[in-house]
Amino acid sequence: MSLLTLEHVNKGFGPAANRYEVLHDINLSVEENEFVAIIGFSGSGKSTLMSLLAGLTQPDSGTMRLRGEIVNKPGPELGIMFQNYSLLPWLSVYENVEIAVRQVFPKMEKGERADYIRHYTSMVGLDNAEWKKPSELSGGMRQRLSLARTLSMKPDILLLDEPLSALDAITRSSLQDEIIRIWNDDKKTVVMITNDVDEAALMADRIVPLTLGPAATLASDFPVTLDRPRDRTTLNYNDTFKTLRNDVSQFMMSLSDEAQTETNDTYILPDIQPKDFTQHTVLSRAHS
Amino acid sequence: MSDENRRTATERIKHFLLQVIDLTALGFLEPVVRLIYGEEPRVQIRKIGRFVAVPILAFLCFVGIWAAWAPHHKTKAGEVPTPSVVSEAYTTILTFSEREDSKEEAYLLSEAERVPLLQQAEAQLLKARTTAQAADEAVAHAQEADTASKKQLTERISEQLKTHKSTYKQERKTRENALKTELGTLSSNESIARVAAFREWKSKQTRLQKSMKEDLARIRAQVNPKVQTALAQQTSCAEEVQYLSSYCDILSKSNKESKLAAIDAEILALQNSMKQADTKNRYKQADKILVLHERRKKVEASSYAKASTLPMQIIRSIACVFAGFLIGTVIAVPIGVCCGLSSTFMAAVTPFIALFKPVSPIVWLPILLIIVGGFIPDPETHWLIQWLWDAPLIGELKINPAFLASALTVAMCSLWATMVNAALGVASVDEDHLNVAKVLRLGFCARLFKIILPSSLPLIFAGMRISLGVGWMVLIAAELLASSEGIGKFVWDQFNNGASDSFAKMFVVVFVVGFVGLILDRIMIIFQRLVSFEGSVAAI
Repeated sequence: MSLLTLEHVNKGFGPAANRYEVLHDINLSVEENEFVAIIGFSGSGKSTLMSLLAGLTQPDSGTMRLRGEIVNKPGPELGIMFQNYSLLPWLSVYENVEIAVRQVFPKMEKGERADYIRHYTSMVGLDNAEWKKPSELSGGMRQRLSLARTLSMKPDILLLDEPLSALDAITRSSLQDEIIRIWNDDKKTVVMITNDVDEAALMADRIVPLTLGPAATLASDFPVTLDRPRDRTTLNYNDTFKTLRNDVSQFMMSLSDEAQTETNDTYILPDIQPKDFTQHTVLSRAHS
Repeated sequence: MSDENRRTATERIKHFLLQVIDLTALGFLEPVVRLIYGEEPRVQIRKIGRFVAVPILAFLCFVGIWAAWAPHHKTKAGEVPTPSVVSEAYTTILTFSEREDSKEEAYLLSEAERVPLLQQAEAQLLKARTTAQAADEAVAHAQEADTASKKQLTERISEQLKTHKSTYKQERKTRENALKTELGTLSSNESIARVAAFREWKSKQTRLQKSMKEDLARIRAQVNPKVQTALAQQTSCAEEVQYLSSYCDILSKSNKESKLAAIDAEILALQNSMKQADTKNRYKQADKILVLHERRKKVEASSYAKASTLPMQIIRSIACVFAGFLIGTVIAVPIGVCCGLSSTFMAAVTPFIALFKPVSPIVWLPILLIIVGGFIPDPETHWLIQWLWDAPLIGELKINPAFLASALTVAMCSLWATMVNAALGVASVDEDHLNVAKVLRLGFCARLFKIILPSSLPLIFAGMRISLGVGWMVLIAAELLASSEGIGKFVWDQFNNGASDSFAKMFVVVFVVGFVGLILDRIMIIFQRLVSFEGSVAAI
């Protein structure tokens, strides 16, 4: 049985007369220990889908089940890691994790709890910054802290909402490795939303494209058959990776082409030709 | 190695100093600290120039303009005091308060302590009396010299005036008679012209006389600076003599211990005479002894009836503003938080905020005075007042209904800023933080105390800072109107007093009120910074 299933889920906003349907007939099943990447354009309803998965909003029709039981409210078992960290700025690194641990494991002994919290802060490499406030942390450190807090709740499923989109390229790749390592060590189930095909192909077991909104839905998925551990430096020369990346990109491009042809707009382009400067320089050199 | 240690230690001190400066919003000190540590001296000196020298220069300019302009504006209460007069008034206020403090102390001194003090004070009094006498003589001299010099000036003019008056009287009569006889021979138009000319001549003469009289008055009214300084000297000497004599009195027979000793002696004498007295007298004497015992108790509990001094009034005002601020905050924060939590509650409260927020303290105060008066008809016996008088620290303040009404006025006028800010703070909690609460399934209380309140504290404290500022402004007016002992009452007393330096004393109050308000604001800035988690708080 799948860990998480979405069956015919619809979600829209606005009054019935002027309804804007964001998601239409979403079907998804995530197996235990699977890493699923949902890929989509900005504005296609990715964040709405994530809110649904986290239980923060309820579907208009259709159901979501976790281990066969219908989910209708958020909770620690659906461990969402928000796009903009959502750390509590008045609490230190330690306290940000503590507030979650206290709430999820109220019966934990004091000493045990401290060790437990330290385990997660050191897992993400923040053990030297325990007493810092979020405002004193860099973007990558904040995202790590957010990850530590989410993991400390021992969720059944880890939901990552574009977790790395606000980070610079270097921090981003190191955090990608870190998430894969943690997923591998803890054998977590992960659903990650992203807009980066490379990232999805590097990290996930399966890539599910989200079609363009309005009324976006999930298209048929692309399984990632690459062996693990995947090495980002050699991956670029791997033929499977290249094919997969091309396929997904092509598919996404076709979605956007479709969207463009749907609008039936034709642009009249100006009649201009590129000028060949190389020719000219060669000539001028010849003259001199 | 030790050199490096020292460097890190000084670096740490520097870091600490800079943090303290940042926390207390004393940003102008930052370049000074950095300069001491030799960090980019040129940049720091430029900064000091801008943030230290310019403000000082501007203030000096202000004082200069004030000093130049003030003597040119005459008022009913005398000239507008110059900065030097105001600083003199400040010294007078301080001296008065010191003298009252020493008298209060003297009242409670024991025999052994006060005898040497008394000798010293009596010697001082003797000296002061001679100086006072000298000052009296100096005043007499100065006045004599002044009258003499004025007389010299006026004598000539009054002589002229006198002669002019008599000649004018005679000439008018002769001219009038001549005109009357002449008029018979002239045509009517000509007669009118003649009479008009005569009238003009008359008015010219009276104008002349008037201007001479004015000259005389001006000379007589001229204030001689020598006389003025002599008079000021005389007043201060007289004040000192008065103080020293009453101080001596308190050190000798008006002292608490001496009073008690006198009563004890009287009781003892009565008891002794009772032994020999007959039955009828015995009753009388026993009665007397009982009365004396009662008086003894009263004296024992008594303290020196100190006149109100400005430092004491400042302390009372600060206590009053904090009392009102506390009451206001206790009311405003819960209501504001509820407003932020529930838009229904907000809708219910909005009309009250909109209606009562603009009401002036001058309207609240009389209403509150009557309401408080209704609760506390007789302060001498009311349990609340008695309890406040017996309370350890605030007992000294002698809190009375006027104080309570002033504090409540402060509360009524200042709570709105806190309320509105608390509502805003709670209503604008980051959606992400609320999502965290949802994911963690926090209960209502945990959500309120762990997420909503911490996140809205910076705004609540910003509101409280505004409230305290408003409260301080309101309080001075409230005290003035309620005659509650405090800075406001000091101003009102000076306004009604009309002594030569009361105008200057009011100017002193301007600076005192401003300074205390500044300190209060700084305190609130520190609190605000302590609860803020993002960015720093503006200091103006």
